[in-house]
Amino acid sequence: MRAIVKNGIGVFLPQGFLDGNKTTVFLSIDDIEATKKLKVDMILVSLKKVIFFNKNGLDAFVKMFLKLRAANNITVGFCEYDHKKYEAIQKFYADELNFSLFKTEEIASLFASSFKNQKKSALLYSEDKSQRSAIAIELHDNGHNPIIAQTKSEFIEKRVQKENYDVIISDTYLGQMGQKVATRVTGNAIIYTVNSFLDAEIGNTFNIAYHNNSLNVGFRLFIFDAYKVVSMNVHALNFFSRLASSAAEYNATLCFVGMSFEKTPESLKETMEDSGIMFYEQMDDILQNKELLKELGASSAGNAKNKRVINKTLVSELPKFIDAAILTIEMMTNSNAEKDAVEICDIKVSDHSNKIASSIGFYGDIDGMIVLVFPTSIAKSACELLIGEKTDDIELILDSLAELVNIVGGKIKTLLADHDVSVNITLPRTYSTVDSVLEVISEKKGVQVDLSFNNDKFLFFLTR
Amino acid sequence: MITKEKIDDYIEKIPPAPDTLRKTVFLLNNGELHKAAVVAQSDLALSAYLKSIVNKPIYGFKNEVSDISQIFGILGATGSQTTVYNYMINLLSPNKWLLFKLNATSFSSLQDTLSLQWKKILQHLEIKDKDIENSITLLPASIIVSEALFCEKIEDVQLIRSAKSIDYNTILVRLAGVDLFDICEQISNKWEMSNKIATIIQAASGIKPLSDESINILGKWMHLLLFYELSQPTFVEAGLNDFIDFQIDFVSDIYEDFASLMDVQ
Repeated sequence: MRAIVKNGIGVFLPQGFLDGNKTTVFLSIDDIEATKKLKVDMILVSLKKVIFFNKNGLDAFVKMFLKLRAANNITVGFCEYDHKKYEAIQKFYADELNFSLFKTEEIASLFASSFKNQKKSALLYSEDKSQRSAIAIELHDNGHNPIIAQTKSEFIEKRVQKENYDVIISDTYLGQMGQKVATRVTGNAIIYTVNSFLDAEIGNTFNIAYHNNSLNVGFRLFIFDAYKVVSMNVHALNFFSRLASSAAEYNATLCFVGMSFEKTPESLKETMEDSGIMFYEQMDDILQNKELLKELGASSAGNAKNKRVINKTLVSELPKFIDAAILTIEMMTNSNAEKDAVEICDIKVSDHSNKIASSIGFYGDIDGMIVLVFPTSIAKSACELLIGEKTDDIELILDSLAELVNIVGGKIKTLLADHDVSVNITLPRTYSTVDSVLEVISEKKGVQVDLSFNNDKFLFFLTR
Repeated sequence: MITKEKIDDYIEKIPPAPDTLRKTVFLLNNGELHKAAVVAQSDLALSAYLKSIVNKPIYGFKNEVSDISQIFGILGATGSQTTVYNYMINLLSPNKWLLFKLNATSFSSLQDTLSLQWKKILQHLEIKDKDIENSITLLPASIIVSEALFCEKIEDVQLIRSAKSIDYNTILVRLAGVDLFDICEQISNKWEMSNKIATIIQAASGIKPLSDESINILGKWMHLLLFYELSQPTFVEAGLNDFIDFQIDFVSDIYEDFASLMDVQ
């Protein structure tokens, strides 16, 4: 059984009965190894479709949790259960509950890096006071606004006004959380929260895949919230210097906010400044200063000075990229997709209204980014297999478009691998307007291909 | 990927039930076991199948049973009919399974277990009805149909399923407008099985509640039984645990009764 990855969370979905020692068959050694290779913040096992489990039944998954956390520093646990199941797990693992329990996937996603899940207002309650605090702190570090109910009656009272909250958290337990650096998105800036002692371990806990993806999709300002950092050593310095160098290639800026140098040599600060990292005392010094934001690159994601240009290697692989898009659309719609026109140019979108887009980056032997721009109605029909119902819910359509472009990415990976070209794909990103995608890729040369299926036109753009 | 035309073509290619089988089923239906045995004996493959089934450890006979009349006598009219139906469904199974990690033995074992457990359920529910007892035989056809339709598209299906939790039945409905259970119904029509059998199978899909509550209840028990068996190691390893979507809410009201009957602990 393999996990399905979405928004940085991998989820296993067993069905039926998890009892006896049967669950070892749900997870082969290959499955666990494949899971270790996933670039995710969290691995969860959903109990939504499990009607019965006992401790033996859960143990195989718990063993996997421990292996994954040791190998990848990620958060692991169960999700999607009712109160009865929550109590059963608490009872089974009373003294050894070192994994997490999230009542829903939505609650879990608040603790993972995502471009989508930002600044949520969350009402939370746990009978355990230390859990209430731990959940609130984690939520805050991930950029959300936790509202704690101190008693059950207060929780019940507040819960009635559910329109006041984006999410209501109960029956949730934070076990040993992943050591990944907490990430949040503010406008066009990404904020990473780092704390305590920064040493060589930062190389393991920093989600480099997410960071590269952010660069690829156009983020240019990265702020390290370092208020809680006690000290830093030379290994961490080297890591941040390398990060600054790679950011420079995209003309992106790295900033540290609130970093105290009481226990860290000032010389490290100077070295970091030499590599282009900037230091500020308060977060608001940056976020409230529009001029500075513009200067640092966060007012528009597309104002990079050093453009990465499309190269011959990438163009030579173009047929495979186009094939991947066409084959995927054909597979998803049972109709013939066709290539209409190919041109090397800046992206040209004739009419901006009622269009949405999705992009996915790839890196490895070759690197670049694919963008698909669809009229909303066409996106709906291209994603019909994934959506399954008629909907005008733009969030749902964008979600499905991300899944579609993820499938295109997977197909590209397979097609290139057949020709000994190895690439990894990044997380997909969606754009609700053409303008937002143009912010990322305007003035970038690429190959534009007009495609159609059932006479419905959409646009494919390959760039770097 | 999979079109309505491809499905129609698949059903078209399914041959009608052979004469011997139709006659055997007809005679068993009328309780004429001896005459049925004489007809069944003329079909060597059917005879061999019946012998292999009844001599499995699950039936617990010390000595080999090889006489078809004796086999029908042991199984009884309805049990014999169920076994002949299982044989007919077996005829549809591929020589080599590609999508699911199954083989002739493991598939046959699933059929046997489902039939025996279903009998136990019907005894518990105090239901005596030939068609209802035989209905379980059509359920594994859904697995064969999935295999047949998706085996040439394994990579595509895996790609879709790596991005979204979506079962084979849902993929089929969204692409072609028919589901696995509709196809099972068409097979049962082609083989002149009772309409009631197809109706129960449709209810067992868990996604098409019927107005007839007595059939719905049977659908719930069958749906839960299927997932009880598909949670067994052999079938999890075969990739069957999530081939269709388990409708947990659909079966919630009979779960306690089921768990007690099957001694789930």
